[in-house]
Amino acid sequence: MKEKKAPKAAKKADSTPARFKVGDHVRVKDLPNMFYSRTQIYARGVSGTIAARTYQDLIPEDEAFNRDGRLEQYYIVRFRQKDLWEEYPSEKDTLQTEFPDRWLEAV
Amino acid sequence: MSLRTALRQQYDIIGSLQPATHVPQNWNYEIPSSLYRAYMHPPHDVGGQRDVPVQYEEKEEEQWELNTYVTCEVLGWRGMWSAEERRRRADNDLGYTLYLGMPYYGRWIWAAARMLVDKNHISLTELLEKIAEVKSRHERKESSESSQKGRQHARPF
Amino acid sequence: MQTAHKHAGDGHDHIAAPTVEEITDFEVLEIAVRELAIEHGLFTAEDHRRFTEWAESVGPAAGSRLVAKAWTDPGFKARLLEDGVKACKEIGVDWAEPTGFGTPSDYMNFRVLEDTPGLHHVIVCTLCSCYPRPVLGMSPEWYRSTNYRRRLVRWPREVLAEFGLILPPEVEIRVEDSNQKCRFMVLPVRPSGTENWTEEELAAIVTRDCMIGVALPRPGRTADVHPVHKARRPVHSSPQHGKAAG
Repeated sequence: MKEKKAPKAAKKADSTPARFKVGDHVRVKDLPNMFYSRTQIYARGVSGTIAARTYQDLIPEDEAFNRDGRLEQYYIVRFRQKDLWEEYPSEKDTLQTEFPDRWLEAV
Repeated sequence: MSLRTALRQQYDIIGSLQPATHVPQNWNYEIPSSLYRAYMHPPHDVGGQRDVPVQYEEKEEEQWELNTYVTCEVLGWRGMWSAEERRRRADNDLGYTLYLGMPYYGRWIWAAARMLVDKNHISLTELLEKIAEVKSRHERKESSESSQKGRQHARPF
Repeated sequence: MQTAHKHAGDGHDHIAAPTVEEITDFEVLEIAVRELAIEHGLFTAEDHRRFTEWAESVGPAAGSRLVAKAWTDPGFKARLLEDGVKACKEIGVDWAEPTGFGTPSDYMNFRVLEDTPGLHHVIVCTLCSCYPRPVLGMSPEWYRSTNYRRRLVRWPREVLAEFGLILPPEVEIRVEDSNQKCRFMVLPVRPSGTENWTEEELAAIVTRDCMIGVALPRPGRTADVHPVHKARRPVHSSPQHGKAAG
């Protein structure tokens, strides 16, 4: 009988610094896309603002491959729909989604 | 249906699963960079793709679907994988044809089976033998039930 | 499974309709994986039973109670918006259940999105179908569909119109694409005509679709109406009708 164990505990002391705060303007990077990513193609290269800082955790590229890695700050970023989709008819509408620190750069 | 007939039917179906850019001399030495990027794109990232209005519906949950969900979560609970690994496997690794063609929870149980074999918790042979055994267990049950009820039924191939 | 077979002397093939008793390929695979996992000690039958019990206990009644309480108690609403996981405990929902550290898929980062008269939220997970199971139960089939996930982020007003929800252009529609570990629920605007209602009466008009954001609550509207595809061998008790929390 294999020993029952909880999933590996995240190493809270070992995290990359959080570079952004609420209100900062950021752009989503378009890093090469292969095998797995949770950074949607529709957001890549688009600028938005940090709407919230959420938690620190493993990045999907590590966790999906059962790899211990450093923890990163996650952020909810808010975009204007008009910046995501060229033909979007309304100036008002927005979209929010979440990224770890490494996927964002300052603008 | 005899086994050989079923397997011949398989050739028809498998042969119809062609790549979208089928060319007669079907070996590519080069592909455009834009096509390379599209091939590398993780299938689960579908936001913004065009689609048509449809009738959205609910579905009563099957017992096997609930069991599948629980099995996948309990495998996570007991440290065999994380939900993130499940998503990588069930939503990306299996390729577009299965991703778009398999039932939702069919992908979950496929991914669990694949993970167990990949990580050497079970051997592929064990899995195949167990599948055969479960099938024959059910056939025996069907046979005995139908002979009790005295009616004909279709034998699964 | 459909089979075509000849009966001796028949002279023709016919497709036998699958009988209810015939096991499906997925049922076989599910049994095989579960039995092998238990045989190899990866988990126990008791683990499976215990998690099944949790899965069957969750449903949208908990979410409805959160909304009704937020509508009637401004202090609770502030706590709910400040820390969703902590506020859920006040109605007996513990996001750490049943493992003690949360479910593997739902985590412990629950955030409530507050609608205002000028702002309407609607939720999707474009990458898979992440959903706040502890407060809403299991996701509806359409929420998991590639179709919904493709279209909602780019054509939200069109998709909402198909649900019968048309909002004026001066209302901002904000799509929340829950693509990581946060789990979201909409706190709709309390509709007029509900003055002096009890929490119970209010909860009855806060349906699951209202908490995803594809419907608005209003007096008299107590159900989400969609066509229902029947199961071949349904769960004995539907997870969609989980027991109320607490």
